[in-house]
Amino acid sequence: MSWRSIPMKFPGTCTVCKKKIEVGEVALWAKGLGVKHQSCAEADVELDCAVCGGKAGCNQCEFMDDCDRTKVSQLCICKKCYEAKDSIVLYREAVSRNYKFPPQ
Amino acid sequence: MMWSEKYRPKSLLEMIGNEEAKESFVKWVANWTRGAKPILLVGPPGVGKTTMALLVAKQFGYDLVSLNASDVRNKQRLEEILNPALGNLGLLGKIMIFVDEVDGIHGRADFGGVSALLQILKEPTVPIVLAANSESSDKMKDIRKASVTIRMMPIPPRLLRLYLESILQKEGESLRVGTLIKLVLDSRGDIRSMLNSAQALVGGFEPQTEKSFETTDVESAVNAFFKARSRDEAMAILFSLRMDPQEKINAFYSSIITSHLSKNDMSEMLDIVSEADILYGRIMREQQWRLLRYLDSILVKLYRKDAAVRYSQYNLPWPLITRLRWDGKAIKDLETALSRRMHVSRSSFATFYLPYLLRCVKNKTLEMDLDPAQTEVIQKELSSAK
Ligand SMILES: Nc1ncnc2c1ncn2[C@@H]1O[C@H](COP(=O)(O)OP(=O)(O)O)[C@@H](O)[C@H]1O
Ligand SMILES: [Mg+2]
Repeated sequence: MSWRSIPMKFPGTCTVCKKKIEVGEVALWAKGLGVKHQSCAEADVELDCAVCGGKAGCNQCEFMDDCDRTKVSQLCICKKCYEAKDSIVLYREAVSRNYKFPPQ
Repeated sequence: MMWSEKYRPKSLLEMIGNEEAKESFVKWVANWTRGAKPILLVGPPGVGKTTMALLVAKQFGYDLVSLNASDVRNKQRLEEILNPALGNLGLLGKIMIFVDEVDGIHGRADFGGVSALLQILKEPTVPIVLAANSESSDKMKDIRKASVTIRMMPIPPRLLRLYLESILQKEGESLRVGTLIKLVLDSRGDIRSMLNSAQALVGGFEPQTEKSFETTDVESAVNAFFKARSRDEAMAILFSLRMDPQEKINAFYSSIITSHLSKNDMSEMLDIVSEADILYGRIMREQQWRLLRYLDSILVKLYRKDAAVRYSQYNLPWPLITRLRWDGKAIKDLETALSRRMHVSRSSFATFYLPYLLRCVKNKTLEMDLDPAQTEVIQKELSSAK
């Protein structure tokens, strides 16, 4: 599961874009899973919306370029749910439905 | 009050992000049995590690015994704190040990504390929770092996935005979208820093307005303190001097250091100031604001009849001080690294220690084992000081 950032010792093929990764280039590697470009890895991950359970729509997000989706907490909120009224309350309600926290 | 404190989540549900981490942590506490491996919470600053530990302990009815890296450095100190707690299990109710910022222990500063801690970690008789910003150091390797890691990730920016907007709404404030986005991005997932910057922007920093209202009074308060006729009067003056605690400590420090005192008085007073400073550093690190009330009871020990101390603002011998304190990120990083090493707060490191440290480096009476970036910062400071 864990991808590690390593400088390539041998040429490899990116599992996402299928293009070559050159020796010396820094790429992500995971045992048994192969290698991929840093940029492909980021584009490859899409966060989920905590509220509706769908995809968060990262490619249309205002923070697309600044959110490292491989490194953040994986639940976000999609545009539609974000724009709904009292979205923070919706977020909390959804989390309390889907995760077990102790009684308040 | 600072928003980051005012809005410190009062339940796990109020915390945003890292839902799975929260769930596993709760599960661990709920199912804890004697001998269960300790938990290591790893994640960048301001994602809620400390908050989560405090909340979960409270919700499960545990009394938290908190330790920080400086408690853990020293075996004796560690035992002083833990033995009474562990020796009286049952008498004291349910106990949970919390070691915050355990990665702050540095190699050379360790006097057997880490191995003593590891020993405790290996045979836990109470739930033990550790928190760390990073897990990469050598010390952390053993700690990591002895515990179960729960990772906390930075919060994705849009969620940060959602949260920030909800706070602004509660405060009846609003910011332009561009400003909002910039705040979110600058925070890099650190909620505390995001809230602090937002509060500063809307001008809601009470400590600061209070300070500017009171600064004219610092002088008379400090003078009145040392002229007081009794310790009680001195205490009352301390109480009424409402200002940022760090500034308060600094005001006493600079006044004492520039007054003509006997060697003995001077060293006693400096000890008291540093005691106050250590407490404040701890309050900041552990966010234990309730300890603030003890600060005045430490400072009041500075009172002695007819002490020849008069208020003085920072008149320290090194001309760089103000510049050093407020200069850029590089300096801040250096200060942070070194202040951790010396177990003082960053600002008091900058005020009290850095100038002297620079001098020692310059006079080659001290060699520092720093990384190249930090060495460069020091060199730069030295050359601009010439
Ligand atoms: N997940 C979170 N949700 C809401 N606020 C948070 C969260 N994490 C941190 N904060 C804010 O930041 C402050 C500091 O959090 P803290 O638990 O001390 O972070 P850490 O221990 O990870 O550095 C809190 O008082 C709160 O205002
Ligand atoms: Mg913390």
